[in-house]
Amino acid sequence: MSIDMSVNFAGIQLKNPVMPASGCFGFGREYAKYYDLSALGAIVVKATTMKPRSGNPTPRVTEVWGGMLNSIGLANPGVDKVVAEELPWLQQFAIPIIVNVAGETIEEYCYVVERICQSGLAHGIELNVSCPNVHQGGLSFGVDTKVLSELLQEVRKVCTLPLIVKLSPNVTDITEIAKAAEATGADGLSLINTLVGMKIDIKTRKPVLARGIGGLSGPAIKPVAIRMVYQVAKTVHIPIIGIGGITSAEDVIAYVMAGATAVEVGTANFTNPYACPQIIEDLEHYMGKHGIRNLEEIRGCAL
Amino acid sequence: MKLQITNNRELAFGIWQMDITGEFPYCKVQAGQFVHIQVGDGFNHVLRRPISIAEVDPKQQQLTIVYRVVGEGTKWLSQQNAGDFIDLLGPLGNGFCVEKCKRSLIVGGGIGIPPLYEQAKRLMEQGETLDIYLGFRTSEEVFWKERFDKLGNTQVYTEDGFIGKKGFVTEGIAHRLAADPNIWENVYACGPRGMLKAVQTLFAEIPIGGGVSLEERMACGVGACYGCTCKTTSEETRRICVDGPVFSWREVNLS
Repeated sequence: MSIDMSVNFAGIQLKNPVMPASGCFGFGREYAKYYDLSALGAIVVKATTMKPRSGNPTPRVTEVWGGMLNSIGLANPGVDKVVAEELPWLQQFAIPIIVNVAGETIEEYCYVVERICQSGLAHGIELNVSCPNVHQGGLSFGVDTKVLSELLQEVRKVCTLPLIVKLSPNVTDITEIAKAAEATGADGLSLINTLVGMKIDIKTRKPVLARGIGGLSGPAIKPVAIRMVYQVAKTVHIPIIGIGGITSAEDVIAYVMAGATAVEVGTANFTNPYACPQIIEDLEHYMGKHGIRNLEEIRGCAL
Repeated sequence: MKLQITNNRELAFGIWQMDITGEFPYCKVQAGQFVHIQVGDGFNHVLRRPISIAEVDPKQQQLTIVYRVVGEGTKWLSQQNAGDFIDLLGPLGNGFCVEKCKRSLIVGGGIGIPPLYEQAKRLMEQGETLDIYLGFRTSEEVFWKERFDKLGNTQVYTEDGFIGKKGFVTEGIAHRLAADPNIWENVYACGPRGMLKAVQTLFAEIPIGGGVSLEERMACGVGACYGCTCKTTSEETRRICVDGPVFSWREVNLS
């Protein structure tokens, strides 16, 4: 039986549905020392902003039961350097490149999206309206349907690539935000970003993270993320990238059954730098063993 | 890569030594580099633990780490036995340079001391005179004093004073500097941030080489996540895992 792992996500052709999640993989250079990145379905690079950002004070990361908290704060070299150095370097792997874009104002989002689209070096935009670790922008765009619609209307005017909106789980009803994104021009959705959390060091009697709060990721959030993918898949007609606690091929299958077209793997890269290629290899075996010729056969079967 | 534990024992209160063998690029290790160790099975613990390399013996194919049991991950490490396998990445980061000079100062505090052992060994082997100042919180946490004694003139400081001198290493160093500000050409240090800052301040007006090794909570350990950053004196961001953990004294902002 021939196994076809390829998927088409909002016009982006992926040879398999597995890509590293934004923020967990830099711009790929570090993990290219461990394996050939051309094995990936696509790469989603670190959140890119108009100007370079150094991020929040340290400690910025800490482990918790079943996952971790981070408060990196969108540290990145800025769009000039990303377009001049990082995206050209990534071309050698001949895989789709999706650039995660963040900003503090509508103008900033539009500027970065336009620069990325005009560079001709990327295949998709993932709009980050869900970062819990910055005061301005980020999450504030992703929790209010009206604010999100205003942002998307403007971004849509300058975005010539498939536009994927990355949603926050830190909302009352994620389907409302998803519907608003679909109605104002999103070509796809990715969900979820991290859940806001905190860890207290009982010796110092203070939060462990310097900023106090951080984003929870890892296996602990998988049930929440799968529930949200399921709910959103029932509500919208645009494709979904499932994100949250994926560590195995079985997890990928579960997300696809809940309605996801593709997935992003984040925290697992830290535990095992070979997590993505391992999951891709295991996914092919799983599909073969269970008589799944292509993922379309099981997509949304749990709905 | 999977390596095998040959020895794992408590050296002092809460301080453990683990010897590891197996396929590893022993000859490429710089003193001050670290290994990133997976703890627990599968994804029980999502973050690896960065532990500096205390000693490397290419002939015996042996790597030694010394760690303090502070949380769940290091507790798990302390429960592993000889014969067990552990998964580690490394060697990672940039270690200490080995510039030849006549006389160097080694300053270590607590669990920052281990990477200085391999560095001191290499400096001693090339004929340098070493003054070694080791600080510990309590006397029951003192370890490897005898090992350092063989490498140079070693002074131990504890906060309780039962072993060595009572007080902080910086007091002894300040005293020596008052007599001769240019006694040391290179200074190598690792330990609590407060101690490192105090050492940097002591040498603020004195030109020195060497390096300072920093510690921070890490996630990926390979430079991808920007979890473990620090600032340079010109306010630029550096990643401790790949740009460090060893930095030059003039480059890094320790405040």
